[in-house]
Formats: sequence, C-alpha cells, structure tokens
Amino acid sequence: MTLALGAERDARARTVTGAPAADVFPIEPVSLATKAMGGRLVVHLDAVGRADRAGHDSRQVIARIDRWASRITRYTDTSDLALLNADSSPAVAVRPTLAAALAAAITAADTSEGFADITLLDARLTAEGHGHLAPASRLDEWTTERRQRGAAVVHRPPGLRFDLGGVGKGWIADRALALLAGWRSAVVDADGDLAILCAPGRCWDVAIEDPRTPESHLAVLRLAARRDGAPTRWGVATSGTSIHRWNVGGIAGHHLIDPRTGRPAETDVVQATVIAGSALRAEALAKAAVIAGSVEGFALLERARVRGAVLLTSRGEVQALPVTMPLLAG
Amino acid sequence: MMPKPQPARAPAPAHTPKARPDARPMRLALGGGGIAVLSALATAIVLPPQPAAPVAIDDPQQEVTEPPATQLQVKRPVQYVQLAPGETAPPGAKVIDASAPTPMTVVVTITAAPQPTTRKTTVKTTQSGRVVP
Repeated sequence: MTLALGAERDARARTVTGAPAADVFPIEPVSLATKAMGGRLVVHLDAVGRADRAGHDSRQVIARIDRWASRITRYTDTSDLALLNADSSPAVAVRPTLAAALAAAITAADTSEGFADITLLDARLTAEGHGHLAPASRLDEWTTERRQRGAAVVHRPPGLRFDLGGVGKGWIADRALALLAGWRSAVVDADGDLAILCAPGRCWDVAIEDPRTPESHLAVLRLAARRDGAPTRWGVATSGTSIHRWNVGGIAGHHLIDPRTGRPAETDVVQATVIAGSALRAEALAKAAVIAGSVEGFALLERARVRGAVLLTSRGEVQALPVTMPLLAG
Repeated sequence: MMPKPQPARAPAPAHTPKARPDARPMRLALGGGGIAVLSALATAIVLPPQPAAPVAIDDPQQEVTEPPATQLQVKRPVQYVQLAPGETAPPGAKVIDASAPTPMTVVVTITAAPQPTTRKTTVKTTQSGRVVP
C-alpha cells in the first residue's frame, strides 16, 4: 500500500545503490559489550578465528570511547562540556575532543535543518520539572573558532548551555569505527546508534526494535557493501518518544524538544529509524523525523537523501521511504 | 502470525451462488505497488562520507584532532519560500509557486505484523536514554 503525504517531493533523478548483492553472507561477529554513556556500548567484529585480537582491539576502542565520553558528557561537573556550560565568559577555549564534538553538532544541525539542536538543555530541564525557563532554539547564538591542533574557542552568550546527547553518541560511534579501520567488517553500537563497516561479500543483519514489545522487531535490515567492491560505511540510528519519558504535574513529557517551541514535540511519530552514511547523520535525521512528525519528517528525510527510513506512528503504522525496501531482509 | 480460530458457521443453502472475490483491493494494491517501484527508481542514496582520518588505537589519552579550519558557523539554510510581490528569494532557496499543485512524498506502509525475533540478529538499533525518575 502506498500513501501520498502532503509535502515537498524532490524530483531529482536518483540511483538506488544501497541494495545488497544476493550472494552475501550474514556475519556472526565476535562481540564485546559494556556500559558507557548511560547505556550499552557494544563492539562487533567479523573476527572468525581471531577472537583474541578482536577482544584486544575492542577493549582499546572502549577505553577510548570512555575517555571521549568523559569529556563531552553533561552528567558530571568536571567534563569539558560541564566546564564550558559553567563558564561566565563569552568566549571559552576548549580542547580538541570537545571542539570536534561541537563541530559535529553544527553538522548535525545543518543536516537536520535545525531539528538536532544542542542549545535546548534548559528547555529540556524545564520540561523535566527542573527549571523555570523554557527558551526555544538558540542555534544562531553560538559559533566556534578553530585554533591550533584541533582546539577551538567557543563564542556564545554566557548562560547558553549545551547538551550533546544523541549527537555526541553518533559522533563517538563514527570516531570509534575509524579506530577499527584495520578490520574489514565492524560495528560500534553506542546505545542504539550504529556505525557500521561492511566488506564485500558480507552483510550485517540489523534488527529495528519494536518499542511496544522489545522482544520483537519492526523490521530487519540487511546492510552489505556496495557492488563496486569497496567496503561500505553505514550509519543507523533510532530516536523516539516512547522510552525516555516522564510525568510532571500530571503532564506527560519526553526528551525530544521541538526547537521551534522549546517544549516536548507534539508528534505522530513514536519512533524513527534512519539509515545513512554515518551514525551522526542518521542520529540527527532520526531525531528530526520524530520532532517534525510523519508528513514533514518524511519530506525532510527525502530532501536529505537518506538511504532508508522506517517510522512507527502513533496510529500503529510502520511506514518507510520506498528506498528502504531493498534493504529489508527476507 | 497464528490465524485466529473462526467461529462455526451454518451451512450455506445449496442454491446460493458462489461469491466472486472483489477485484478492487488487489487492483489498488497492484497500483500502489507500481507507484512505490517508480518512486524507488527515482530515489537516490547519497555517497557515504569519506572515512575519518584514522587515529592511533592504543592511546586512550589522545585527543581527537580535526583538520584545521578558520571558523565554523551555524548555517540555517532556507529550503523553500513563497514570495510576496517585490520580494526576492535567499540564495539557494527553492521558490514555491502558490498556485502549483500540492507536492507529495510517497511512503510505503509495511503491513506485516511484528514478529517475535526468531532469527539470530545480534545487532539491534533501539531508542537510547532512560526513564527519568
């Protein structure tokens, strides 16, 4: 069944390149799981017969992720991000890791047409019942100026605080995957945001969890290398309103703040999964699709030319962009 | 999915003509499928970004470094605008003709009901976060 939604349709000619070849073999990985960034962190490697090496490299990557996360989290008072948020100066020097994460946040904001917005921390805390102000987006009020060796100076009005949140997880997943460039096929799972590398002839089966019954899934994606023979990178991320929720004064809320209103988004999308070329891009666009709602969200995803998207709506429908269909397993 | 047991029915009279299936739902489904296929053929996928510069795997103290740039600024592109008389469009914006038909985005509804996980899929994408107390 097809539905025509009232939104902009991009008529540019496109080529479907994401379909995996028929003769690819699912990977049974060697996996190492731990907890990090307030959730799970898993490194999967296609490492048949090389389990020892896989364990060594996975532990190295997890140690690096812990280090990055400790610098960009808002949940401690000593992280680089917390120090930036607490600084009363209009221009604050930051170290390379935070500078790179903030640059990724700017990319995410551009990619998502402003929906992935890291300036909404105070709006979110207000929605959670921990604050008294609920400003909308302040995306236009900050810039970064790069300095030597990756450091930067952040210019922003004192009091403007950042929350890297999901953008930070997507960025970390991508950076961690780059550390695993010596492996032909690998996945970094940063609490559901996946950075994936796949070698020719192999494929990763990725289940999209059904938030209504977590032991079930909405669909299974089969992500393989492109037919040109080169290893292919994928990013898969899921965002939604059904897990991270709260109730303040009898009013239900969730963590996805609409930058247009400064309040939890009023949306008909319960969960959005986006398949793209990087975890950062997928994360930003999945969040945007949820906040924007299904009609505007699908139009935005089409403009962004994602590789695939699967949305669960409040009506219980599971909808996808047509480009997704060749990526569905079985 | 297991089919639901059907209640017992009284036997139909012998003279009742055999009901013919309604062809319209199948025609609608085939038509819709055709639209989906055409849309898929007209849809492109962006090339993946170049892999990030590799960094040493065995030094967890090492900072991330990026290629130097002079300044990064937040860009908020105007995607679509409708113009009043005398106005001009911002650079890069696509002007929408107010009299043009409503544009459409085609989506596909996946009708299969969620199934319990029976196949081995070790990689899973989920919503992140936790319940706020």
